[in-house]
Amino acid sequence: MLEFFQMIVSALAVGSSYALMALAMVIIYKTSEVVNFAQGEMALASAYFTFMLLEIYGFSFISAFILAFVFSLILGAVLEFAVLRRAKEPNLLGLIIITIGMEFIILGLVSWKFGADQQVFPFPIGPYDSIEIAGTFISNLELLSFAIAILVMGVLFVFYRFSKMGMAMKATQQNPIAARIMGIRTKRIMMLTWGISAMVGCVAALLTAPILLEPFMMWGPMLKGFSAAVLGGMTSLPGAVAGAYILAIVENLFGGYISIEFKAVVAFAMIVLVLWFKPSGLFARHYVKKV
Amino acid sequence: MDMKREYFEDVQLFGSGTIIFWFVVLIGGLIMYPFLFPNYYVYVANYMAINVIVAIGLNLLVGFTGQISLGHAGFFAIGAYGTVALMSLVGLPFIIALPLAALIAAGFGFLIGFPALRLEGPYLTILTLGFGLTITLIIGKIEILGGRNGLHAPDLSIFGWQIKSDLDFYMLLIPITIFMAWFARNLVRTKIGRAFVAIRDADVAAETMGVNLAYYKTLSFAISAFYTGVAGGLYAFVLRFIEPELFSMIMSITFLAFIVVGGLGSIMGAITGACLISWLDLQLRNILDVPYLGDWLNSLSQSYFSITGCLNIQYIVLGLIMVLIMVFEPLGLFGIWIRLKKYWMTWPF
Amino acid sequence: MKTRLVVILSAIIAVMICFTGSAFAEEGVTGTEIHIGSFGPQTGPAAPWGAVARGSDAYFKMINDEGGIHGRKIVYHHFDDGYNPAKTKAGVKQLQESDHSIFGWVGGVGSAPGMAIKDYLMDRKVIWVGPSAGSFAWIDPPQKYLFPTYPLYIVEAKALVKYAIETMGKKRIAIVYQNDEYGKNGLAGAKAQLAKYGMKLAVAIPSNLSETDFKPHVSKLIKSKADTVLLWVAPGASARTIGTAYAMKFKPQWMATSTVSDYPFMYKITRGLWAGVITAGFNEPLDADVPILNKYRKVFAKYATKGERWGTFFVAGFGFAEPLVEAMKRAGRDLTRERVVTELENMRNFQGSQGKVSFKPFDPNDIYSRQGQQSIVIFQCLKDGKTKKLADWVAPGFDPKELMH
Repeated sequence: MLEFFQMIVSALAVGSSYALMALAMVIIYKTSEVVNFAQGEMALASAYFTFMLLEIYGFSFISAFILAFVFSLILGAVLEFAVLRRAKEPNLLGLIIITIGMEFIILGLVSWKFGADQQVFPFPIGPYDSIEIAGTFISNLELLSFAIAILVMGVLFVFYRFSKMGMAMKATQQNPIAARIMGIRTKRIMMLTWGISAMVGCVAALLTAPILLEPFMMWGPMLKGFSAAVLGGMTSLPGAVAGAYILAIVENLFGGYISIEFKAVVAFAMIVLVLWFKPSGLFARHYVKKV
Repeated sequence: MDMKREYFEDVQLFGSGTIIFWFVVLIGGLIMYPFLFPNYYVYVANYMAINVIVAIGLNLLVGFTGQISLGHAGFFAIGAYGTVALMSLVGLPFIIALPLAALIAAGFGFLIGFPALRLEGPYLTILTLGFGLTITLIIGKIEILGGRNGLHAPDLSIFGWQIKSDLDFYMLLIPITIFMAWFARNLVRTKIGRAFVAIRDADVAAETMGVNLAYYKTLSFAISAFYTGVAGGLYAFVLRFIEPELFSMIMSITFLAFIVVGGLGSIMGAITGACLISWLDLQLRNILDVPYLGDWLNSLSQSYFSITGCLNIQYIVLGLIMVLIMVFEPLGLFGIWIRLKKYWMTWPF
Repeated sequence: MKTRLVVILSAIIAVMICFTGSAFAEEGVTGTEIHIGSFGPQTGPAAPWGAVARGSDAYFKMINDEGGIHGRKIVYHHFDDGYNPAKTKAGVKQLQESDHSIFGWVGGVGSAPGMAIKDYLMDRKVIWVGPSAGSFAWIDPPQKYLFPTYPLYIVEAKALVKYAIETMGKKRIAIVYQNDEYGKNGLAGAKAQLAKYGMKLAVAIPSNLSETDFKPHVSKLIKSKADTVLLWVAPGASARTIGTAYAMKFKPQWMATSTVSDYPFMYKITRGLWAGVITAGFNEPLDADVPILNKYRKVFAKYATKGERWGTFFVAGFGFAEPLVEAMKRAGRDLTRERVVTELENMRNFQGSQGKVSFKPFDPNDIYSRQGQQSIVIFQCLKDGKTKKLADWVAPGFDPKELMH
């Protein structure tokens, strides 16, 4: 029984990083139906930027983190403005290739600048100090990730529901032309969407980096985040978070009881099964195409 | 673009005398190629030919039928492992093993087609992605296929003709590639091809007109998987050694890049896209040897970046090319070609 | 067919060249240059291993500074293959078939990339010394022109298990192994050695290459009540495993392979959790005060680029090239591949910065005719990242039948 609890607790911990990446991807998808493959790398760039500030320029933690958020906001906005918007009459695949291209560029730049070796990321709490609750262990970093994931989701929920900007974003997603007519500056909204998504990604990266900082560290979380977002529904924010935790729990339980090697397979099999019955994910509304 | 005045013109293989002429020139060029260039470039040509086959197959699925697949590395792996296994374990000759392995890949494609019927966009992406990853994991577990240690491809001979050197492979691959391209081009002009295009453009309307969506979508997956399986089988022999890690997500992404950069929905586009990107893939490691650019990059590395990571410029260049082509011409290389043609044809307006 | 004619003619010419001694220069050798090639992943997820090729580069520069080899300078070619065998093959072909060609290859990181070009090089009778992977496939069966010096992973596993049981008195040994040949060789070695004592592994846990979450693995380890855990995974994964275990308050004796024997680095990235880990190694500790390492440190200071680290992989680049250079020196001014092969076969207990290297005349049934190093050292990481040598050059001996399990 204890083992079961340990697995659930570990899953919740791991699921938090998936949840943050899933949130970041859904934010962009909700507004512009673009699957942003560069998500992981945008987050990576922010993490390395913070690393540079902390290690080389000796900033304090608070100022470095705040600057990192600002950096990611600007990075997201700039990428949307300079690259995505320039694409003429893009189709879905074209946009995917553009995001993949951006991913390669950012990855190349980061690897070029910092080299391929793993680095140590200075962080206020050690990544492996843990506390024990009723026989199960959870590390401080994981607790923090969990808390922050819930916090971010809460903030986003409040933002979308109650703030003017959030409502403007929802309007842009539902009907861009009507939104423009109503006076919403859709172009700014798009830039802001990418900026917010990049910030969420930055949070995810900052929580992953203390364990080991290396150029390919965000590939795994991004893939899992994408799968989680698909599972929960690409247009639903709470769906993305729920999908992430469900994915993590199923994976961990399977890995613990049956086979570690096939963890990933089972995750995908589960997603396929869910998609068979609910083609748009668990929590999203499935829009049947009207002719 | 060019007006077709009757049904025959639409269906025929070569549109006009000019096209036939240039086609003959191309064939002549392909025949002369290995004798004009050193052996290494023949290897590069072999690699490009394999990628061209994959690109044509994937284009049938993505460009003509409007689906997405990020898991074609899985079909590639099935083709590669299938051919080698059928030859080593069952003892079939290459001539039979290759199509048979490709048929097995087509079978899997057909299976994937079923869930794909209901999905689109990112959901379909994840389905195919999951498929690709699952296949490599499962192959890795099967011990008789060498497991994670990989498998050596046996010696290849067809009716007594020993295929060992790059030139031999070239002589094997180019006819196969030309045949596959010709087949695809004809397929597109038949009822099946038109059904694919109808599904891409307006699937609900197509269904009302009597196009059986289920049949054609799964058929599209199957044919695309067959092409990729053939290419995979050939790849196993060009490389002489295969292991599951080769068939990664990056390979699938590269395949997709071939056709999107080259031009979706156009066979010429797929061919050029595959040639360009696979050539870049192989040659970019020499980027620092390029006369002026290389030195400039080196000095840039000295001052701002690390030297140890210098060769990551490959990623940057590849990414830049993908982004620039897609941003400025969503129709890819083929779109650029069409624009050039239009410009010249309508000059001076 | 025309091809056959070309091949036959080339073969005749090649044979002629071999037999006419110094009348014709050997492929890759001119009056003033010897062309040596290598490859490695400078980009991609395996990029940390790229330091091996860069280390060899510094080593060859040092040799050239010392006057070269009998009046010839070494021209070193290495390229980035991103751990992609297709690119490895392309690069090797391009260099081997270029105008200057390549006399011999050193290093070369990775089993998969190496396997892709092994047949190509062996068919052309090109020497290859020191592939940077301790895989059994290099000597299964032994190849005349292939001289691996990397100690076998199986041998490392056996030595570590032997030390744990005989010297440390451990009782329950478990292993976390990467799901590829590297990991499986370790598994086989551990099992074989344990069988000698009538023991079995407490648990054997496979790990996928890109795994980042090791909690399931550690949970299984805790359940098995192992007191020693062999880590046969990549450096990043080793760091994560140890960290996760620490978070779950599990503190067995960790033992790992030579790939993570770079203590200053591992100590840094695990934030000190590496203290107490025992690893196998194939060269002296990096901070040891031995003449040869001091000499190499000066070469590092002179030739390494900014941002390069004095790490295991970089120093290994020196070690893998030493036997070839030594053999070329012994072969004399009249440099042919056959003479270098003979010199390598006559090499007995040559010691550079790695262990003793010995080969024997070629015998397709004797793996020791082509396995250069059979012994390893065992170190332990101390509390401040320093190294303590526990056992000097042990050679547990190994029988190919142990791989069949």
